[in-house]
Amino acid sequence: MNAPVRTLHPLAKDRPLEKLALSEQIEFRNVTKLYSQVTAVRSLSLTVGRGEFLTILGPSGSGKTTTLMLLAGFEAPTEGDIRIAGKSVASVPSYRRDQGVVFQSYALFPHLTVRRNLEFPLEMRGIRSAERAARAERILSRVHLDGLGDRMPSQLSGGQQQRVALARALIADPPILLLDEPLGALDRNLREQMQGEIKGLHKEFGITTVCVTHDQEEALTLSDRIVVMNAGRIEQTDTPEALYDRPVSRFVANFLGDANILDDPSFAVESDTPQPDGTVAMIRPERIRISAPGATKSADADQRQHVAGTVTDMIYAGPLRRYHVAVGDNDVVIREHVAAGRQIFQIGDTIQLDWLRSDIRFVTT
Amino acid sequence: MLTLQKLTRASVVLTFPALCLLLLVFAIPIVQLFFNSINAPALSLVNYVTFFVHPANVRVLIQTIEVSIVATVICAIIGYPTAYLITAASKQVRSVLVILVLIPYLTSSLARTYAWVMILGDRGLINNLLLDLRVITSPLPLIYNRMAMYIGMVHIMLPIMILPLVSVMLGIDKSQVAAARSMGARPFSAFWRVFLPLSLPGLRSGALLVFILSLGFYITPAALGGLRDAMLSTFIAAEVQSSFNLGRIGAASFILLAIAMTVLAVLRLNPAGPKGNAASDRRNRFPAAGALVRHLTELGTLRRARRWNMHLYRAGDATHVWRFIGITVVIFTLLFLLFPGVVVIIVSFSAGTQLEFPPSGFSVQWYRSFFADPSWNRAALSSFEIAISVTIISTILGTLAAYGLSRSAPMLRNVLTLVLLAPITFPVIVVGIAAYLGLVSFGLVGSKTGIVLAHSIGAMSYVVVVVAATLANFDTSLEQAAKSMRAGPFRTFMRVTLPLIRPGILGGAVFAFLHSFDEVVISLLVSGLSIRTLPLKMWENIRHEIDPTVAAVASLLMLLPVLWLVAMYFIWWRSRSRMQAASARMLAAV
Ligand SMILES: Nc1ncnc2c1ncn2[C@@H]1O[C@H](COP(=O)(O)OP(=O)(O)OP(=O)(O)O)[C@@H](O)[C@H]1O
Ligand SMILES: [Mg+2]
Repeated sequence: MNAPVRTLHPLAKDRPLEKLALSEQIEFRNVTKLYSQVTAVRSLSLTVGRGEFLTILGPSGSGKTTTLMLLAGFEAPTEGDIRIAGKSVASVPSYRRDQGVVFQSYALFPHLTVRRNLEFPLEMRGIRSAERAARAERILSRVHLDGLGDRMPSQLSGGQQQRVALARALIADPPILLLDEPLGALDRNLREQMQGEIKGLHKEFGITTVCVTHDQEEALTLSDRIVVMNAGRIEQTDTPEALYDRPVSRFVANFLGDANILDDPSFAVESDTPQPDGTVAMIRPERIRISAPGATKSADADQRQHVAGTVTDMIYAGPLRRYHVAVGDNDVVIREHVAAGRQIFQIGDTIQLDWLRSDIRFVTT
Repeated sequence: MLTLQKLTRASVVLTFPALCLLLLVFAIPIVQLFFNSINAPALSLVNYVTFFVHPANVRVLIQTIEVSIVATVICAIIGYPTAYLITAASKQVRSVLVILVLIPYLTSSLARTYAWVMILGDRGLINNLLLDLRVITSPLPLIYNRMAMYIGMVHIMLPIMILPLVSVMLGIDKSQVAAARSMGARPFSAFWRVFLPLSLPGLRSGALLVFILSLGFYITPAALGGLRDAMLSTFIAAEVQSSFNLGRIGAASFILLAIAMTVLAVLRLNPAGPKGNAASDRRNRFPAAGALVRHLTELGTLRRARRWNMHLYRAGDATHVWRFIGITVVIFTLLFLLFPGVVVIIVSFSAGTQLEFPPSGFSVQWYRSFFADPSWNRAALSSFEIAISVTIISTILGTLAAYGLSRSAPMLRNVLTLVLLAPITFPVIVVGIAAYLGLVSFGLVGSKTGIVLAHSIGAMSYVVVVVAATLANFDTSLEQAAKSMRAGPFRTFMRVTLPLIRPGILGGAVFAFLHSFDEVVISLLVSGLSIRTLPLKMWENIRHEIDPTVAAVASLLMLLPVLWLVAMYFIWWRSRSRMQAASARMLAAV
């Protein structure tokens, strides 16, 4: 897709970019949601800044959709309070909350044309038909759907429907945008294209966005911050980099990317910092170097831990080679780029691994 | 104040108007009838004892059960293979076949019963033919006996057996049968071990519907059966006319009801599924309604592109023989279903002073007499007036109720659905008596308003069934989407929900109209002889063979379902194709 157009949406101009992310827009205070037997969300506290793009990431059934539905007002919290712009919304029904919502199934009205779908939120706000038409036309062209206004939703492709859903959520310029697995139904190429589109629209409209997904790549690409949920609880909230680089728990470490957990008690991990109680050592596969035993050591050898191991498996995957190495009782995975001149090890080879002591992380179990 | 607010927000209030009507016209009188039957407050079983003490009553009771069982079994024996062959046909042929089964289903059962009088009567088709051929010298006693009664009952109820069977069979995953075949099962054992068990829910629904309807059957046994073939409903009706002893009527009604409910309870037990299977449990909670829903959705299913594999019964060398047998069976069933209608239409153009088949000449005299006779005109007009009022009332109340139910907690929903559908699950004679008692207390017996109210309760049940089925497929995220765009509950309903469930509502309205327009038994009880609807006047004529004009009326009534089918085709098919295109896109996108 084309690079996002950097012109500000005419209606977003009263929200200058420099003001973004200064104050908090959404706040969850100890919110719990019980369905008859299941606790879908458990004392969740969370703030989202104005203009921020926050993604809720987690495995299936972890309570992501429930959190979003609570925010949209389609469900009421069993306990706790949700505040928007400083005011509790407990008694505000969904149809007074002024949020744009994109549903996983898009929820385009099948009996209305694309144009009528887009005009619906404006009509509900009592905007005159001439202006409605103008705004629908403008946003249609913004999402590259010029000329498709008179089609029925069923006559659009999946990606086009997705764009209409996004446009419909944005057209009335709500201060908050909620996305539930917006790209879940699209194929891989289209998904990447739409990620760019969403990111562009977010920047342009400066709209506070909460997005739910279980696709980690999507979360890492789009978000200012990511909330990782597990079994109704927040495991960690952080920027994408921090989340990947400094996961607090074994769950987060495993959920985002690959993680080597070094929990063989007979194996001593060297580290710059002391190991806190109730944690295990973790290192990312790409932080480990593999070499033949007795190979010349690098200049920073004194900052590194060197261990011996045996190759138990080697998988060739395109530009990458994955080794599984037994180090004591630990199964260590190493990813190495295939490059000319690199020595290739075979299963059963005894080899040497080394890593920077500063790359070791301690995560709660 | 706060509780009031909460209450008005709860969707269950939407069922209140429907429940109110039901309570006044049906539920309270039923309870009243029950108290009468036990001589409350004395609490004596004397009425029940009296019933069982008379051997004649016991004979009627046993006969009712026997006739119902035999009719159900015959329907199953004819219906199952027919349904199987319909499912096995190619898509286009299947659509045509299903429509040919639907036409008699939608035709006035009075007109269809009359057709058998024309065929089996002393001067009917068969006797005339045999007399002409000089095979016999005096007419054979073909009518007014048990045989004629079975023929009529099976004819009326066969579509009710076939339609749920077809919809269940269409839903069977053909790959399972193919898998059994691939594991070495011979065609017959693949059918026996895989297909038959999977199709049993359809057989059960069909059998249940037929049996319950048979129990309360009144018109056909009375028109075709002999004096000794009285059913319990005939007995109750006679009791109403002669003595109107509420205690005895109540006792007989509750005995009939008890049998119906027992069979319902026993048959809806799922032999395969233990308690744990919540989903199928819910589906089977109300098999009669479930089947109805299913064969209504079948209307749409016609277009489902599920190519049933012919090789299922096309196996081996026997191909041609089986094909031939299959086609013969289908043709015979369809002839049985449709031929009587054709006979009536032909006879209605008779030239002489009597109806005869084959007609000696062509004339439209009976049609002329229908349109010229003010009493027929009045009857037709009343029927239209009543049916239209019923359609309006029951469509509004039924739609509101179905919508309220779909948004209520499952427990509440199940209980209230059961209550709302009682008027079409209870034997019709019992419903009629209850409605009579209900209208008496408002002084509405013998008024059009009274008939409208009495018809509306059953019509409402049909609307609830059809609209609820439509709502079950309704994507609630569309409503959430509307709300997120600042549409309040009312505007969401008017702008999003209503347009999307309109096909279901219109379908329900068609059924409501037909229910009222064809209704005889309830009208008979509540009209107080002062109002004549078209079916009432027809019924009078059929019983007393007064006026051959009835043939013309019956023929005109046969036109009606064709009109309805065309209407429904447009309503359902148009919305179907739209939805289908949407879902196809979705699937393609995934
Ligand atoms: N309406 C409901 N009634 C009862 N339980 C529910 C309901 N909605 C969700 N749950 C339960 O709450 C838990 C969280 O559900 P939720 O839909 O929020 O998960 P999710 O993170 O969105 O999962 P997914 O990625 O599969 O969409 C699950 O255990 C689910 O079964
Ligand atoms: Mg979800």
